Amino acid sequence: MSPAAPLGAAVVGYAHSQIVRRSDDPLGALTLEVAQQAIADAGLSPDDIDGFSSSSLTPSAGSHPEIDGVSTVSSTWLAQHLGCAPTFCSGFQGHGQLPGAVGLAVSAIASGAARHVLVHRAMHNPAGSYHRSSMSSASGGAQWIAPQGFFGPLAMIGMTYQEYLQRHSAPREAMAGVVVESRKNGARIPWSVWKDQPLSFEDYLDSPMLTDPICRLDCDMPVHGAAAFVLTSAERAADLPHRPVHVTGIASTAPTRWRLPQHWPLDDLYEAGAAIRDRLRQVTGLDPTEVDLPQVYDGFSSLVYIWLEVLGFCGNGEAHELVADGGIDSDDPTALPVLSGGGALGNGRMHGIPQMLECYLQLSGRAGDRQRTASTALACHAAPHVGGVIAFASDTR
Amino acid sequence: MSGHPPQPVADALSAPYWEGTSRGELVLARCGRCGFLSHPPDVVCPRCHDPHVRYRFERMGGSGSVRSWVIIRQSFLPGFEVPFLLVDVAIDEDPDVRLIGRYTDWPDATPVLDERVLVTFDLLDDGFAVPAFAREVRP
Repeated sequence: MSPAAPLGAAVVGYAHSQIVRRSDDPLGALTLEVAQQAIADAGLSPDDIDGFSSSSLTPSAGSHPEIDGVSTVSSTWLAQHLGCAPTFCSGFQGHGQLPGAVGLAVSAIASGAARHVLVHRAMHNPAGSYHRSSMSSASGGAQWIAPQGFFGPLAMIGMTYQEYLQRHSAPREAMAGVVVESRKNGARIPWSVWKDQPLSFEDYLDSPMLTDPICRLDCDMPVHGAAAFVLTSAERAADLPHRPVHVTGIASTAPTRWRLPQHWPLDDLYEAGAAIRDRLRQVTGLDPTEVDLPQVYDGFSSLVYIWLEVLGFCGNGEAHELVADGGIDSDDPTALPVLSGGGALGNGRMHGIPQMLECYLQLSGRAGDRQRTASTALACHAAPHVGGVIAFASDTR
Repeated sequence: MSGHPPQPVADALSAPYWEGTSRGELVLARCGRCGFLSHPPDVVCPRCHDPHVRYRFERMGGSGSVRSWVIIRQSFLPGFEVPFLLVDVAIDEDPDVRLIGRYTDWPDATPVLDERVLVTFDLLDDGFAVPAFAREVRP
C-alpha cells in the first residue's frame, strides 16, 4: 500500500512554552504568547489567522473552578485576545481531543471556512490535589459509582490495567520499560518538565502505589504549559518558510457499549482499537505498522500496551513481552521509536501535544540533534479509550 | 476521612434500583421491548434504540464473576476510610453487564480472575444501600 494523498491541509509552524509543574501566572497570557510565536514561526502575522480550533477539556475529576483565560483557554478566548478577525472559531467535544481539534481545523481549511487555523492546547495544574472532590451527593451518572468510592481517572485506568495484567499474565514490573523509555526521550526535550531527568528501572520499581496496580510513575505529571500549531492549505503552505507537514488522515473511535461511567473494560478498548486500525488503513492507505514514526499515547503508562496492540505491532496481550524484550527504544534501529518524543510521561500532562509535536518536528526536518529519517508518522491520543489518531506525511516537493 | 460518602440522588429511572438495594435486592432494568439489561438504565434503550423505553425492573440472582479490581489507597471523595478494594463483576444474567463494588473479604483475601462472588450491601445514611461483593465460596 502507498500513502494516501494529503487532505489538503498542512502544519506550517509551531511554538511550545516551557512546561512547569505549577504556575500562578494566568494560563491565557502564556497561551497568547505561544500563539504569537507560532504564527511568527509560520511566517504569518496575527491578521492572517482567521480560524481557531482546540479542545480545552481539563482532565481532572477535582472540584476546581474553570476560568477561561486563567485555568483553561478556549479557542473563543484566544480568538478574542489575539487581535484578528476570525471567520471560524471552534471547540472539539468528542472522542480523541487533539485529533478532533485537528480534524475541525482541516475541515475548516477544506471547506473554505478559514485559511489559516491556529490549533492550541493549554494545560493548568490547579493548586491542591488534582482530583480531590467535595461531592456530597451523587446524581446522574455519578450515583452509579461514587457511593461505593469508584471515582476519577486512577481508579478508572487501574481497573482496565488490572484486567490486562490478570488476563494476559503480565508482570507489573515489565511496565518499567515503558516509563524508562518515555523519560529517557523526555529528558532530551528542552521544554520538558523532566528535562535532564531520566529514570532507572529501580526508580520505577520503588515508585509508591497510588491505586493498585497504578503507581505514581505510571501517571504523567500534571503541569502548566501551552503549545500551538498553525495549519493552512497545502497550496498556501508551499509559500511559507518551513517545510510543510501534511495531514493525511484522521481516525477517530466511536462510543462503545453503554457502561457505568468511567468504566473501561479491556475488551471495549480492544474493540475501539480494532476499528481505529481499520480506519487508519482506509484513510491513509498504510497499515499502522508500515508507518515510520508512530507516536503512541502514554497519559497512563498502561495505554502504551493497548496502543502497541491495537496498532498491530503485536497481538493482544503481547505488548508487555515486546516491551520486556527491548522492543520499544528510540536509540535502537531494530526497535520501535513509539515514544521518541518523550510522550506525556516524559514531558508532562500536555494531552497529546508531545505526540503531535514529535511528528511535526521529525517530518519537517526541525528536530535538531534528535532528527530521525521519517516520512510518515502517527500521533495517537486518548480519550475515552483509544480516542483518535492523526496521520502525517512529509512534503515531497 | 471527613464528611460522608456521596449519597445517591434517586431519579425517575434509578428509583426502583435504589428501592431494591435498600431491601437487600439487586434490581436491574430490562427493556420491555427487546429484553436488554441496561445498567445504568439509559434514557433510551441502548440496544433497540426505543426512544420511549419502558423498563421492567427485575431482581437478579446476585452472583457473578470477578473481572478486575483496584485498591483505593487515597480517596478523592469525602467519607471513605482507606484502603479498600473495589471489584469489577460480570453478573451471571448477562456477563456484559458489569458492576463495581467493594470486595468485603479484603484484606483477608485477595480476588482472583473469574472468582465467584455474591452481592451483599453496604448501608449508607438515609436508608440507602450500595452493592458490594463477597466470595461465594468461603474457606
